[in-house]
Amino acid sequence: MTVLPQGSEISRRRLLQFGAAAGFLLGTGSMAGCAGPTGLPGPSTLTLALNRSLVSLDNKLNQFDAAVTVQRAVRQGLTAIGPETKPVLVLADRFEMTSPTAWTVRLREGVRYSDGTPVAIEDIATALKMYQQVQGSFVAGFFPEFPTVVPVDDRTFRMESKNPIPILDSLMSMILISPAAKNKPEELQEGVGTGPYVVTKFNRGAGTYSLKRNENYWGPAPKVDNVEVRFLPEESSRVIALRSGEVDVIDSITPDSREQLAGLPGVVLAEASSLRLNQIFYNFRKPSSHPLSDVRVREALSWAVDGEALVKDVLVDSVSEAEGVVPSSLTGFSKTGNYTYDPEKAKATLKSLGVTDLNLKIIWETGEFASDTSVMEALVEMFGNIGVKTQLQQFEPGGNILAWRQGKQGDWDLLGNGFSSPTGLAITMMQGMYAGTAEKEKTRDTYQGYVVPDVQAKIQAASSEVDPVRREQLLATAQKAIWDTWPCAWAFVPKSVLAHQKRVADLSLAPTNSYPLVDVRLEA
Amino acid sequence: MTKYILKRLGQGLLTVFLTVSTVFILIRLAPGDPAVSYAGPLATTEQLAKVREQFGLDRPVLEQYWIFLQQLFTGNLGTSYSFQAPAMQVVAERMPYTLTLATAAILLTAVIAIPLGVWMARRPDTNRELGVNVLTIAGQSMPDFWTGIMLLTGFAVLIPLFPASGFATWGGLVLPTVTIAILQIALISRMVRREMTSNFAAPYLTVARSRGVGSPALTWRYAMGNSAIPVFTALGTRFAAMLNGVVVVEVVFAWPGVGSLIVRALETRDYPLIQATVLLTSLLAVAVQLVIDLAYPLLDPRVRLGKAAAA
Repeated sequence: MTVLPQGSEISRRRLLQFGAAAGFLLGTGSMAGCAGPTGLPGPSTLTLALNRSLVSLDNKLNQFDAAVTVQRAVRQGLTAIGPETKPVLVLADRFEMTSPTAWTVRLREGVRYSDGTPVAIEDIATALKMYQQVQGSFVAGFFPEFPTVVPVDDRTFRMESKNPIPILDSLMSMILISPAAKNKPEELQEGVGTGPYVVTKFNRGAGTYSLKRNENYWGPAPKVDNVEVRFLPEESSRVIALRSGEVDVIDSITPDSREQLAGLPGVVLAEASSLRLNQIFYNFRKPSSHPLSDVRVREALSWAVDGEALVKDVLVDSVSEAEGVVPSSLTGFSKTGNYTYDPEKAKATLKSLGVTDLNLKIIWETGEFASDTSVMEALVEMFGNIGVKTQLQQFEPGGNILAWRQGKQGDWDLLGNGFSSPTGLAITMMQGMYAGTAEKEKTRDTYQGYVVPDVQAKIQAASSEVDPVRREQLLATAQKAIWDTWPCAWAFVPKSVLAHQKRVADLSLAPTNSYPLVDVRLEA
Repeated sequence: MTKYILKRLGQGLLTVFLTVSTVFILIRLAPGDPAVSYAGPLATTEQLAKVREQFGLDRPVLEQYWIFLQQLFTGNLGTSYSFQAPAMQVVAERMPYTLTLATAAILLTAVIAIPLGVWMARRPDTNRELGVNVLTIAGQSMPDFWTGIMLLTGFAVLIPLFPASGFATWGGLVLPTVTIAILQIALISRMVRREMTSNFAAPYLTVARSRGVGSPALTWRYAMGNSAIPVFTALGTRFAAMLNGVVVVEVVFAWPGVGSLIVRALETRDYPLIQATVLLTSLLAVAVQLVIDLAYPLLDPRVRLGKAAAA
């Protein structure tokens, strides 16, 4: 017989207190109970946290650095930008320039999409058409012209153009191939590809993707069974998620976070020089009477910038000073000089040139590069030390900085900006930044009004030169000519920094700020 | 009753219409160009012109508004620029996350705040009540982002009990829910205390007590019965507000709800997405308000809706 304890009658008050406590437990405890594991990735699942939402697995418009890792795990191109920023063959096993205006390409034998259908020449022709049809295409802008696909046999075709495109093997790395029947001008959120992974689940709104190993993959099988892709826009959230072991890899890390993560047990940092050049670029739309129109003034102002201090103290060694007009990681880079710090010389030169009471306006968009505001504030002090007054104007993303940059909204003198070369080629960046023409300037489509006919002619000559040795020489000459115009007060190359759990092995971060998922392993 | 519901529905729809129309005008007055966000800062003038043409941004604002009205009545607010998918579909994909978070937060609030408020009202001016009161003031004063960061540091990093971000598992719901609920509990419990204190001092309760009605009945049937409408209204209003996205909490916990979506839509000037978010969340908020109104007679039989109320 059960004996109830005497004298311990449960009061109504006690009952209510118990009810409240039970309510609390129901409210929190039960949810915790449902939680199971605290979101830690399993032993066969690699979890990536991206800083921007992966809205698709296509790259017609959306080709931010980290997306490339995932996009190329599902869809592939004929080529890819490989180690040392050289094009490597992917879906093609031959990609050769067979005449100045034609490349002969052969598809790799036996390559199939994840649904088992073979890759056809028609798929390449259709992909090129679709990339052309996208409005405001990011990729299309890098093609001087789109080549025509002419089939030769079942696997071989020619890519013909009106003018020579000597960098077509690099350019084609940006065109991802899908079955012609399912290809559309819009970005493709799902569908089949030839990559080592296939999509099993996605939520475009939340930016989450689940991938699993593609059993039909033509190459060496991926070493990780599943990949989960998450979107964590806030860097602090990504750092916490990595520290708590919730995600395996976070990318695009700023100097502040790198400091936080450096030396933490179980966390590994990976760095690579990027394909991006950040610069404090002059406004080249100034009237000839303006001091900034004088190359000597532009050079003198550069002596005011203590680049070494900026690199060490502000950017915490997360960048390196530029030694030319493009990053040294690009194919075709030529060293043209160094930025030197000599404020006394700067003051004396400005005085000798009769430049007094110079007042500069510096504009930039928030987030253009890491620690952007701190860099700009340091510049105010550095220019102040040589007697040049400055004012800063910061624009929020999505605002109207473009109208300012095009000179349609207001006047400015220096711009904090960045430019990337997704092909890994110096010529791509040079065409985008320094090949401005009077024709382009009519619509303000030059890079901050940079129109130097001699430079443009040199770039043009280099870009259409089919002999690689001669092209290299022409590129070097063009870069020297650009350097001599002192287009920026200072420039630097950021490093791509990525952090991952120690259990993630064989992750090789490329200068494109991406890495082949197929090589990544998970250790016990 | 039917007439009352129809009238309230009409008022609600008018509110939604005015809200989305106001938003339509305001986002077009704000600086920034959706075409630049879409095509990127290096797009040429020609490319930008094509994008504007594609999105209909080259048309006069009045014409854009007319097109928007037509879309509004078909429920299709166009294609999101950044997602390249129907804007309503993108919002609908996010809405379940916000609904889950808001529901969990309001349930936790109700379960804790109501008993806590009653407890405080029954012990006025005692040391324990003073202590709890100070805690509720603190809860009311702590900003969401700070509470969230503290909880993250404590229960995701130092003691890794719960996921730090997102909704990969149900455990991911705990920290954002508690973060939201702390503020709501502080607000609602103080309100319950105020309402209950006022009812405890009312003559009808003295009469009931003199007739020998027991303490629990006095508290829960009489006093709480009279406090139910304002408390329920407050809970409903807080819930409706959460449906518009608990922006700060969603950002801190990388919660994939509509709050973080609308922040992104505003940053990229994604007009169709902004409009779809506002439309869907305001429709839901109006629906919640209607449910609250219709529930009044259930909470207090003296309340009559529609014609009876007017009489």
